[in-house]
Amino acid sequence: MEFAWTESEEAYRAELRAVLATLPDDWWDEYAPHGPSSPRLMEYARIFNARLAERDLIVRHWPAEYGGCDASAWQQIIISEEMWSIGEPRSSLYLGTNWAGPAIMKFGTEAQKQRWLRAIAAGELLWCQGFSEPEAGTDLGNMKTRAEPDGIDYVVNGTKIWTSYAARADVMFLLARVGGKGKGGVSCFIVPMDTPGIEIRPIPGVHSRHDFHEIFFTDARLPVDALLGEEGNGWQIVQAIIHYERIGAGRYEKAARGLAHVVDVLKARGLFDDAVVRADCAAALAMVEAARLQTYLVIDGRAKDSEPGAETYLARWAMIQADHAVANLTSTYLPDLLVDGADGHLRAQFNSAITAGIAAGAAEVQLNMISGRHLGLPRGN
Amino acid sequence: MDFDFSADQRALAEAIQRIVADHRDLPRTGNVVEPRAFHPATEMEAALAGGGFFDIALEDECGAVEAAILVYEAGLSPLVLETGASVLIAPLLTGEALSRPVAVARLSDLTRGVRFLSEARTLIVDLGDDVAVVDMGAHEVVPLDGVYAYPIGKFAAEPDLSAARRLGAGKAGELRRLWRLALALDIAAAMQAATDFTTDYVKQRQVFGRPVGSFQAVQHRLAADAEKCRGTYWLAIKAAWSGSPLDAALAALQAQRAVTQVNYDMHQFNGALGMTLEHALHLWTFRLRWLVGEMGGYRTQAADVAALAWPDAPRKAG
Repeated sequence: MEFAWTESEEAYRAELRAVLATLPDDWWDEYAPHGPSSPRLMEYARIFNARLAERDLIVRHWPAEYGGCDASAWQQIIISEEMWSIGEPRSSLYLGTNWAGPAIMKFGTEAQKQRWLRAIAAGELLWCQGFSEPEAGTDLGNMKTRAEPDGIDYVVNGTKIWTSYAARADVMFLLARVGGKGKGGVSCFIVPMDTPGIEIRPIPGVHSRHDFHEIFFTDARLPVDALLGEEGNGWQIVQAIIHYERIGAGRYEKAARGLAHVVDVLKARGLFDDAVVRADCAAALAMVEAARLQTYLVIDGRAKDSEPGAETYLARWAMIQADHAVANLTSTYLPDLLVDGADGHLRAQFNSAITAGIAAGAAEVQLNMISGRHLGLPRGN
Repeated sequence: MDFDFSADQRALAEAIQRIVADHRDLPRTGNVVEPRAFHPATEMEAALAGGGFFDIALEDECGAVEAAILVYEAGLSPLVLETGASVLIAPLLTGEALSRPVAVARLSDLTRGVRFLSEARTLIVDLGDDVAVVDMGAHEVVPLDGVYAYPIGKFAAEPDLSAARRLGAGKAGELRRLWRLALALDIAAAMQAATDFTTDYVKQRQVFGRPVGSFQAVQHRLAADAEKCRGTYWLAIKAAWSGSPLDAALAALQAQRAVTQVNYDMHQFNGALGMTLEHALHLWTFRLRWLVGEMGGYRTQAADVAALAWPDAPRKAG
């Protein structure tokens, strides 16, 4: 049993912080508050990701043959903590490193691996995720977007919605229906966003003006090598990568640093002398650390090549609760700091926390999974 | 980082689990469990003593993690056994095994009520800065009957502790760290056992033609409670490993904050049956009802978490 970081892990974190030290001086004011999908941050991410790539920092935990350094899974959570906690300057590169890449590694052809994995390792790709549809959000198995094979290509028609990063992403990880109804008809595709037949409409969000998009596919033609895995095994791929997606972002670390900042501001305002305020902050810290340990438990299993289990869902639920606990402190005790220009750090944490129970699978789905897989409770009618 | 116990720690846990499993039967009259607020783990205690487990923290290459394993595993049993003070707190605080059972209390608790005091041979008292270790042989204690699933006792009058051994100035901080660790482990175990017991029950109990546990309203609350159990457990294990006062305070805080919801949910899901002494649920939930207030309750732990986590408070100028 060991709860401390190794020297090499600490060194990796220090290397990442050296690159983070190059962020613009107005990072917390102009970039982070608007989220990793904002136009300015996505534009800057291309410069920042190149800096990471120069130092081979992006996917240290991947095999060397795909651009990694054969490091342990712990290095993936270290980069997630360092980047997510400061507002994710990589922007949606993290979708590629955290789960699209692992999906390609597990299910892709060698040609797909060489094309996409090396590009991720080089920091060249910003991703988006074409999962949710107007009539299929949490219920992904109900999706309607179709990819019809016509003997040459797959021809995609349908609509995706609430898609983050889409307007400026290079590539989409798309779920579309090739077969019949239900989960068995779902397939995965890797889709360059400049493919003709893709139209994007921004949807301003309450947390970010630039996060959501609606995407219309009209006879968009995808070559056969856009298909990941076999036709109809998309659900299997989703199930395999879901464990990576749900705890991929180091939300507890962002909450921890947000909480430290909340405390600093409360102290500066003289509010931290109040016993109730201190107790609320302490309770939030306990939730953050509980989420951290449960996430590390999942990473520990991954580092040992264990099959992922229900721990992923427990960790995700804990992470959501911790994120909200810190955001609630801000809105309870420092509500004036959530307006434009007041405190970018607090706003960044608040804005990402309020989506935590919705993005990457609704919180209630996590509870369903804990009920079934951890507790073994019977399904309802 | 490595969340797995060592081979020796796993062997220890498995050995304790076997003893706990072999001695978990509740006393019955016919088919009915004897209706008592708690059932002492007399045979389990003898088996653990026979195996030398109570001195585990003092064994070579053993310490708080090994003691934590014993406290947690024994705490899963429906039979009640004092372990936290005698197996974890006393040896790690004093470097020696004190006569058990051991009770631990704040000075202000002594005439109000202390867990295990009615049967304790040794009492450890938090004096604020120093710590008193009291041989209970010469003291008269009043046992308190009530709803709690622990033996509770109090001194009939303010005890004279002038002859008690003192551990020295500053030792109370170390006592509180260990007490919080033991408290978090006791809570983690009781919450886990109550959740496991309830999960089994709702799988079997039918209502409106289907298992209670098939209703999403039940499932989601049980799932959220399951996370509280695991989160508390890992905070406690990490606190045992690290020896950090902040880690121990965080574990105790998370534990005591979790109790109210977990206890409420478990009783709701067991229905009226859970309100009877013949049903085992109360053997854990009515431990929790005591533990939630021990050491001053979660606000006391929260105050210390705040002091430990954010000590250098730049105050508002003027």
